[in-house]
Amino acid sequence: MTYPLVVTKRMTDHPADSHTLERYEATSGYEQAKRVLGMSRDELVEEIKTSGLLGRGGAAFSAGLKWSFLAPARPSYLVINGDESEPGTFKDRQLLERDPHQMLEGVIITAIANEVHHAFVYIRGEYPKPARRVQTAVDEAYARGYLGKGIFGSDYDLEVTVHLGAGAYICGEETALINSLEGLRGEPRLKPPYFPAAKGLYMQPTIVNNVETVSNLPHILAMGAEEFIELGHPLDTGTFMISVSGHVKKPGNYELPHGITWRHLIYDIAGGVPGDKQVKAIVPGGASAPWFIPEIHLEDQITKDVCAEAGSMLGSGAVIVMDETTCMVRAAERIVRFFAHESCGQCTPCREGTTWMEMILRRIEEGQGRPVDLDLLLDVSDGISVGLAWPPKMTTICPLGPSAVSPVLALRDYFRDEVNEHVERGGCWFPGARVKPHDTVEGDRRQLVEIGARGELGSGGRPPEVMGNRE
Amino acid sequence: MSEPPTEHVSITIDGDTHQVPAGALLIEAAQDNGTYIPRFCWHERMNPVGMCRMCLVEVQSPRGPMLITACTNNVADGMVVDTRNPTVKKAQEAVLEFLLANHPLDCPVCDKGGECPLQDQAFSHGPGESRFVEIKRNYAKPIPISDLVLLDRERCILCARCTRFSDEISGDPLIEFKSRANVTEVNTFPDLPFSSYFSGNTIQICPVGALTSAQYRFRARPWDLQMVESSGLHDTAHPRLSVHVSQNEVLRLVGVDNDATNHGWLSDKDRFGFQYLNSEERLTMPLLRQDGELVETTWADALDRVAERIGLIRDEDGGQAFAVIGGAHGTNEDAYALSKFARVVLETNNVDARLDDALSSHFLAATVDRGLIADIDVADTILLWGPDLKEEHPTLYLRVRRAAQELGVRLIVIHPRATGLDDRASMKVTYRPGGGFALLDEIAEGKHPELRQALSADRVVAIVGQGSFADGPKLAESVAAYVRNKAGSARILPLARRGNIFGALDMGLAPDLLPGRVAPDEPGRAALAESWGESPAARGKDTRAMLEGIDSGEIRFLLLVGADPIRDVPDPRQALLALDSAEYVVSIDLFLNDSNREADVVLPAAGFAEKDGTVTNLEGRVQKVNVIAPIPGQGRPEWAILDDLAERAGRPIGLATAESIAKEISEVAPAYAGITWDHLDWEARDGAVVPLSGSQPLSHIPVALKGDSAPTAPLLLHVGRTLYDDGVMIRHSPSLRTLAPGAVVHLNPDDAKRAGAQDGHPVKVVTSHGEGEFSAVIDEGTPEGVVYVPFNQPGGAPLGTDAVVRVTAVGR
Amino acid sequence: MSQWSEATQERAREIIARYPQKRSAVMPLLYLAMAEEGYLTDEGMEEVARWVGITPAQVQAVATFYTMYKRRPTGKYLISCCTSISCMLLGGDDVLHAVEDESGVPHGETGADGLLSVEHVECIGACGGAPAVQVNYELIEGVTAEKARDLVRWLETALPDVVNTDEMQELFGGVRSFDWAVREGDGARGPYPAFQALGTVGRQGET
Repeated sequence: MTYPLVVTKRMTDHPADSHTLERYEATSGYEQAKRVLGMSRDELVEEIKTSGLLGRGGAAFSAGLKWSFLAPARPSYLVINGDESEPGTFKDRQLLERDPHQMLEGVIITAIANEVHHAFVYIRGEYPKPARRVQTAVDEAYARGYLGKGIFGSDYDLEVTVHLGAGAYICGEETALINSLEGLRGEPRLKPPYFPAAKGLYMQPTIVNNVETVSNLPHILAMGAEEFIELGHPLDTGTFMISVSGHVKKPGNYELPHGITWRHLIYDIAGGVPGDKQVKAIVPGGASAPWFIPEIHLEDQITKDVCAEAGSMLGSGAVIVMDETTCMVRAAERIVRFFAHESCGQCTPCREGTTWMEMILRRIEEGQGRPVDLDLLLDVSDGISVGLAWPPKMTTICPLGPSAVSPVLALRDYFRDEVNEHVERGGCWFPGARVKPHDTVEGDRRQLVEIGARGELGSGGRPPEVMGNRE
Repeated sequence: MSEPPTEHVSITIDGDTHQVPAGALLIEAAQDNGTYIPRFCWHERMNPVGMCRMCLVEVQSPRGPMLITACTNNVADGMVVDTRNPTVKKAQEAVLEFLLANHPLDCPVCDKGGECPLQDQAFSHGPGESRFVEIKRNYAKPIPISDLVLLDRERCILCARCTRFSDEISGDPLIEFKSRANVTEVNTFPDLPFSSYFSGNTIQICPVGALTSAQYRFRARPWDLQMVESSGLHDTAHPRLSVHVSQNEVLRLVGVDNDATNHGWLSDKDRFGFQYLNSEERLTMPLLRQDGELVETTWADALDRVAERIGLIRDEDGGQAFAVIGGAHGTNEDAYALSKFARVVLETNNVDARLDDALSSHFLAATVDRGLIADIDVADTILLWGPDLKEEHPTLYLRVRRAAQELGVRLIVIHPRATGLDDRASMKVTYRPGGGFALLDEIAEGKHPELRQALSADRVVAIVGQGSFADGPKLAESVAAYVRNKAGSARILPLARRGNIFGALDMGLAPDLLPGRVAPDEPGRAALAESWGESPAARGKDTRAMLEGIDSGEIRFLLLVGADPIRDVPDPRQALLALDSAEYVVSIDLFLNDSNREADVVLPAAGFAEKDGTVTNLEGRVQKVNVIAPIPGQGRPEWAILDDLAERAGRPIGLATAESIAKEISEVAPAYAGITWDHLDWEARDGAVVPLSGSQPLSHIPVALKGDSAPTAPLLLHVGRTLYDDGVMIRHSPSLRTLAPGAVVHLNPDDAKRAGAQDGHPVKVVTSHGEGEFSAVIDEGTPEGVVYVPFNQPGGAPLGTDAVVRVTAVGR
Repeated sequence: MSQWSEATQERAREIIARYPQKRSAVMPLLYLAMAEEGYLTDEGMEEVARWVGITPAQVQAVATFYTMYKRRPTGKYLISCCTSISCMLLGGDDVLHAVEDESGVPHGETGADGLLSVEHVECIGACGGAPAVQVNYELIEGVTAEKARDLVRWLETALPDVVNTDEMQELFGGVRSFDWAVREGDGARGPYPAFQALGTVGRQGET
């Protein structure tokens, strides 16, 4: 089955050179940017509102509404969020690398719609090749007069600065991204009072949009809002990119309409599970999302609302499929470890709680679990996300800490027995376990001491840079 | 400058409805209505960061109940808040358990133990147990991050109070977060210590024992301390503080939040500069010169001899043969006693507490439009033309910094070189030393339109003082006069040094002042007659004239009260000559110093915290200072010494107790009417401002803008004071003694190149008044053509007030 | 007063000019400091502090927040093995152990000869091509434990002056997240990202 393509059409049709200016201009490139120079801010905002385009960075907030909230103070700034770092997500990488001019045209449109004269494209530091492609595109656009003073021969000035991150997932949070861009630690700001639309970059009104979001803009303007709406689901318009990874035969990015089922995605589009094993769990929307299990969710439609009703989210559109050979404790530990590692360290519950969760999960996985540990794990999680509900009741400034709780919810709801069996058997029996089950209590204790002596409890996930600071 | 009336909104806290000021922070509104919400990172004098998450409360929102931090959210009309339901309780207990998970719990050996917010709130709001069985974070502990502050990262809960203080309040971001996630820590940059003048505040506001005082470490348990409130006297703003004593020894000072002055902050000089009180070198007995040596004697013997000499000289030469220098370090009661003693016993107006600091006594004591410190918060423009506030007036520095940074007040700084406030100034003008008048002329002539315009604003506060020794004494007054003419409404804050100089002047310790800011003219003296009897009519001399008079032999008797002119006047040559040739010198002091080492009689006095009294700050605010420690040996308060001496000299001045002196002041000094100890102790805890209207108008406003012409020479000398110097109190305070910059000369890189000077290498500095060898500091903050030398430094040589200077590299 | 080469100083001025406020240039300048000395030294942070007018402590606060600023001596080749969830599911841990074993360098450390540094990292956005490895941030997708050993040996023997993602993908890679299209020669010269604006892009074949 094939679906209409929007943001990945050019790279699909022209796999060899979709990133070049020549190809871009040969396929209607920059036509919309030129056209919108003659449009008013109100017209543009209205058109995008009508299209129903939702932000593709994870929060799924109406892009047009976001623009309409921009405070009147000037200068205003635009920041493109290309700090894609959520485990399982790699769609922006493809858009940046394979069609940088498309994103750039989206930047120009967004800038004009929001009276922005200086835009920033923030690309994560681990994406040098996409960054090089974008910088080349920016340089070409400057050379052609599409950027800089008087773009396209108009009197509109637009500067674009490409900014490279340096290894911090939290900078994908828009206010942390702004701090990072200001040369500060990438710590999320308080909201209130620091809503970017009012007090963003340099305390000025700022639009922060995701790469995929703005990449859609030239197409919405070209095809019109109505046609864009028809591409998708009534409540979730247009197409969206899903990154599929894990235990599937054909991992990759797929541009799809909203509303297909998980079964269709996993078995038809992604080719099913290698070796035809059973699916055990699905992470539906990036590592932050509570997991689904096939027994309950396989026939659900993939839309924002259906996901929310089922107690999870589509998030950044990253689907991670885990088959029956996967240890749920280890998988949970790996995801919790990620959040513990990426915590900015501001909020006590996130800074202390996520690492504690990681330590407990690691102990269980490595055979040092105690019967009380699952309850303790849940209670520690409860302290980060009180009530362990969805959406989480946050105790923190940003959702990172509560996100770490998501895999633990799956352990509680679907895999309690598997956790307890780890405790009972004193280790993990799934392939790739570091510590196999053993028998005696004495052995347990000795091993705990050994692990402690190596200083590895809760630290195994740390790269040396962060761990090395202990004096 | 009145504020509009506050609007109120209605909020419900735990079921009770309250009217609270619109826009208030929820945590404050709750506290004002009797609900304490626990907190660590929030501090009422700093911007909220909402990091510790201890103050989570639940509010009803359109999306259902949600947890928010009370420290980062403002109240809204109809807000319904729950501070203790099961959800909130879970969150609070979780935060405390998380904070304690990695905390070392070494409370028995922690200085903070017993006064620790973490202990207290774990007790009141914590879950009562820890289930953390993993291995705690481990750091080397403690590590010194400066000479004054120790850091223990294991105890740190990362509330960002210290980092915010140094960044937002004091402007020295030298202590910062480091790393992230679970290994986030607070630290300094390697080999770059936390050398802030305000570092001690971080110790005080640290909610755990992560930052502790090197000086106070392991000295006491908080429950063993006795405490009394007082005011710091290193700084003429008189920051409010609490004096903590154990076993009769002052062990530490802690800032007390006072809206009018210091907002709870203290400079490190105010905080740690008390240690001289406990010095082994304190004077404990009266000393009398016998056979060329100072030897201990009895009070009776010492005072009788002085009284005898007073009688002799008075009979021979009258009051003109006496000089009194000093009196600015004691209380108002001491100063009043000295003023009365000089006039009644010595029959002289030769009395001066200023030690040749430039500004006129009338301008300092009673300039019209004198402002309050709080006026700077609501000003449109602050003009700062005088010394570097960070070096000389740290309390004011913090207030001005806050006004410019947080309150949006436009700040203009005019000074010969870089100052601590330049980064917050919207305009900075530098001028060559001695060229202040020329600059003022230029401004008046319209050559600096932006500056002129800023000074024409509605509300302008002018903070004026002597920025450089080369500036003429009338410059500050002329600047004030100019601002008064330009601004819609001007407020003037004249600057002077020495702790209680404003109190001393108010008590008449100047040749042209009597108590209560009254001139010693016919009506002024008549008003005092009932209490004082006859007082001298002859014109008095200021410090410089007195030193000249001693040198010439006209003055035969010098009384020094807490004064060391050889170390303290801008041009010490005169002081050296005078003290060398003086016939008879009596000193009342805490220590032997360069000026009293050759005195005939030295009398031991009481120091800070060793006597009760009142003091008056630069805005005319009178505050109570209190006794809590004994005077070592046989030392006595200055007023008591003077009263005894007057009695023995046959002219009793009738002072029975410090409190009775305060009462007498309130009766004879019109401005001080109604200011009694009772009033200050019970009603006016922030102090009472002495009204200007109570003063007799004094003429002191020279509006002549044409002053001395600016000196011309390739290099001009700028001598300024630094917070730490070789003054007697710093010298005897071990924590601060080593912090003075020392004998250094700051040179612009280009000037240094021309002089062949290298950073850290010795150079010779020569003026017509003196010369010496200094270590060169290559400094872009010092403009080309200006040579900056900090005053009175250990190892330094006095260079006088002449601006023309030569600099040559040594060994070339 | 600067310790940096004239070319680097010129680059620093260009970078600062790209931002409305100087302080925004801290992150790119930290990369410059790394490129200048091979890793981020205290002197490098002090230099950045001078360029943007903040204290070294403030620069350190930023530099230590991000994992890519290496504050200890780092090898000519920094091998980063992803062990986050998607790579872990498909054998990322084995790839890491293979790299450690073949190079003799445990993760978090640098070999005694200063050639190789090995680290394991959180998600690098190559989940569709898991497990993934980066050398100086140049990506290789679909790496097996065996290919990872080949990669280490290749680095140790070929000692490429510039490492390039396309070349390494051809030599050592497998399944990719998406079609990479044409091969390009741009690559990294050291343990920091190769990016035009930083002046750190190397071309294969040049020395």
